[in-house]
Amino acid sequence: MDRTRARLTYSLLAMVGFLTVCPVVMLALGSFSEGLTAFGRFTLDKYIGAYADPAFFRVMLNTALFVLGSSVLATVLAVFLAYLNTRTDIPFKGLFAILSIIPMMIPHLLFSVSWALLLNPSNGMVNTVLKGLFSLERAPFNVYSLEGMILVEALLDLPIAYLIIAPAMRSFDVALEESSRVFGAGPWRTLVRVTLPVLRPAILAAFILGVVRSLASFAVPQVLGMPGRVSVLATHIYEMVSLGFSPDYGKAAALGMSVLAASVTLIYVYRALTAESEKYVTIAGRGYRPTLIELGRARIPLFGAVALLSLAMIVLPVAVLLYTSFVPYTMVPSARAFSMMTLKHWTDVLNDPLSLLALKNSLFLAVGGATLGVLLSIFVGYAVVKVRTRAAGILESLSFLSFSFPGIVIGVGFMWFFVQTPLYATIWALLIAYLATYLPYGVRPMASAFVQIHSHLEESSLVCGASQLTTLRRIIVPLLVPGIVSAWILMASMFVRELTVSVVLSRPGTEVLAIQILRFSDDGLWGKLSALGIVMIAISTALVLAANFVGARYSRAVAAGAG
Amino acid sequence: MEIQVRGLSRRYFSEGREIRALDGVDLTIPANRIFTLLGPSGCGKTTLLRCIVGLESPDAGEIVIGGETVFSKAQGISVPPEKRGLGMVFQTYAIWPHMNVFDNVAYPLQVRGVARDAVRERVARTLEFVQLEGYESRPATKLSGGQQQRVALARALVAEPKVILFDEPLSNLDAKLREETRKELKAFLGKLNITALYVTHDRVEALALSDLIAVMRAGRLVEMGTPQKIYFDADTQFVADFIGRANLVKARVRAQEAQRTLVDCALGAIACQRRDLPVGAEVTLCIRPEFIHVAPGAGAGENVVNGRIESQAFVGESYESEIRAGGELLLARIEPHARLATGDAVHFRLDPAHGLLVAR
Repeated sequence: MDRTRARLTYSLLAMVGFLTVCPVVMLALGSFSEGLTAFGRFTLDKYIGAYADPAFFRVMLNTALFVLGSSVLATVLAVFLAYLNTRTDIPFKGLFAILSIIPMMIPHLLFSVSWALLLNPSNGMVNTVLKGLFSLERAPFNVYSLEGMILVEALLDLPIAYLIIAPAMRSFDVALEESSRVFGAGPWRTLVRVTLPVLRPAILAAFILGVVRSLASFAVPQVLGMPGRVSVLATHIYEMVSLGFSPDYGKAAALGMSVLAASVTLIYVYRALTAESEKYVTIAGRGYRPTLIELGRARIPLFGAVALLSLAMIVLPVAVLLYTSFVPYTMVPSARAFSMMTLKHWTDVLNDPLSLLALKNSLFLAVGGATLGVLLSIFVGYAVVKVRTRAAGILESLSFLSFSFPGIVIGVGFMWFFVQTPLYATIWALLIAYLATYLPYGVRPMASAFVQIHSHLEESSLVCGASQLTTLRRIIVPLLVPGIVSAWILMASMFVRELTVSVVLSRPGTEVLAIQILRFSDDGLWGKLSALGIVMIAISTALVLAANFVGARYSRAVAAGAG
Repeated sequence: MEIQVRGLSRRYFSEGREIRALDGVDLTIPANRIFTLLGPSGCGKTTLLRCIVGLESPDAGEIVIGGETVFSKAQGISVPPEKRGLGMVFQTYAIWPHMNVFDNVAYPLQVRGVARDAVRERVARTLEFVQLEGYESRPATKLSGGQQQRVALARALVAEPKVILFDEPLSNLDAKLREETRKELKAFLGKLNITALYVTHDRVEALALSDLIAVMRAGRLVEMGTPQKIYFDADTQFVADFIGRANLVKARVRAQEAQRTLVDCALGAIACQRRDLPVGAEVTLCIRPEFIHVAPGAGAGENVVNGRIESQAFVGESYESEIRAGGELLLARIEPHARLATGDAVHFRLDPAHGLLVAR
């Protein structure tokens, strides 16, 4: 029993080790090499070239402002929403669940594009309307700016921050607050002196995760930063390797090293903080009901703010894309616009061989990649939660490591690797890189599913005479189905919209949806972009529905016909 | 089936320290008896059970079940749990939440490849035995705690193992249900010809259920015997104190008689149950509260102790009183209608048979 487990752990360690360590090592070696074709010939020129560049200072400053600004904004909004939902009598609480889940279904690239369509200075719809209404000379908003980037990135990071802070707030012992009230502090003082300090680890964790995500963010700076010439590290690195310029993977790797180092450090700080916040959250389920704070007259205005936020995060992006896909050129919604509606962009896109190829590739990567990824995640989750040897501990750290991987940097690392192999420019290169970058999205739901399976459930099956394999098939897997389904959805929807790794590794013939959309965006083909974007969102949604359906049927089948 | 355990050791490493969960345990569990491992938490009783069932691997020693060696460090034998053919009831019951009652109970037969009809028939018989007939298609998690307990028992019994193991099976039930289930369990086990190994930290449970009790402490076996022997005649102070409430008084052996041993202690000269102890030995006199029958006023005579009630607490069926006697504070049970008040002088005569001497 122990021996099979040890063998399992070591083979997993080899696989996950390859996926996570390989791109990092290749990135490091590549940064000291003279070029893709001269791998291993040592030079320091790339570091000097990358960091001594006069544009570098401006890029760093932009990056710092972008990252900190968006993370602070996302965290503040998340605390506000979480507090309203868990602690007050705000109406329509179901909205909060939607607000925290649905935006994750809308790809960052499309979200950014929709805001560009609304707020760009030349013909953004909101700007055009406001100019007409108040007879303004200039557009009031310019989304092609650092402020615009910060706002959009903050909205994108908000759901994750909310999902970290809200559970902490929900499971926090209300007696701590009640005693503060008993000793004479008002609700506001209680919030500032008791609630927020106790929640500090969770809030900090959300903030740090925001930093890591915005540091790795590529869609927002590419779509909103490039037109206004606002460069951050991610887009700066992309410029170095993008095909139009003279690509220099060495310089990109040299810059990528510091982005990666920062991300890895931050993600370990994040991990320490979440461990800390779990320590704080130690109320036993005693069936208590937290008393809700009555908002009184502020109830409706606060709800209005939440509704507005939901509108901006869910309804507006999808509506704008849908609308744009039907009008012949960018115009403000009007009777005339609706009379001119056409299916031209849709037929164009559906007859465009490149778009169809991208669609096919993305579907293959989503279904095949998620299936492989979940399979690997099941074993890794099992080893991490149930085996608990030292090797399993290393496995956990390794699988967590890729959580910090900035897509574009890891793409550059993998580029150095794939160029040395026949996998270069094949769809398998993308598959491997996707798995490496998104493994934690499979491992985490699986690990928490395993945590919920008490070891007695497994042991009693063994004592009953079932082998390890039978136990896995009849006890563990059926209990894991919800975890498997959610891991699969998460990975598949990540893969269908994947942009940052693909932007480096995709070659003619291995285009994916996001790459094709980015190409339309660069060419200003908003109608075609919107049509293809809607297809992408539809696939994500269909994946979720299908996985839910299969999961429900499977658990019913297991329950019914276990004989 | 008889279970033999020889020289069993199991170490853990926790935060850099070595913990000896089992430290050279030798034990023979006779066939077809209810055998209880009793001890405070962390004494190694659950580890011993898990080693016997095969869920943990000892670091040294041997385990023989019914003549078959299932574990031997020296011979490199380690039979996996699924091949040991035992039945077990877990502390959490471990009822599989995705299966109904029938599937839970049928599982051990299904994995043994028993034919469908036979499975149906044997499950029905077992469910009838634990008085759960008609519950087959209920989702197992929708049952009450006591019913889940019986499902767990049915699952452990259905494949007719020769040995059944219980890991604190009553500790998840509330006090009233625990008592009922304990009686039920004893009745069920009484009807079967089976070796039962039962682990608990609850002394009442151990006394009420067992044919034999083994008391453990810090990974070692301290004492083994019938419930009566353990309760009235413990050899060590630890066991005497653990198995029931006891007043422990320091004493010194003064003389030995044919039937009795005389000691000097703070209560005076007391005649006790005969123990082979040398004259002058430092010992502990152990008196259980229920054997202190107080009467009002002062008394005189052999083994009569005089004292004064220092405090009383009404606990329903009696008063729990503390009596100050000769500088010692003795716990005693006083009948609720005895009409004694704090500060009253009282006396009691200790029956030498209830004066238990244990080595210090």
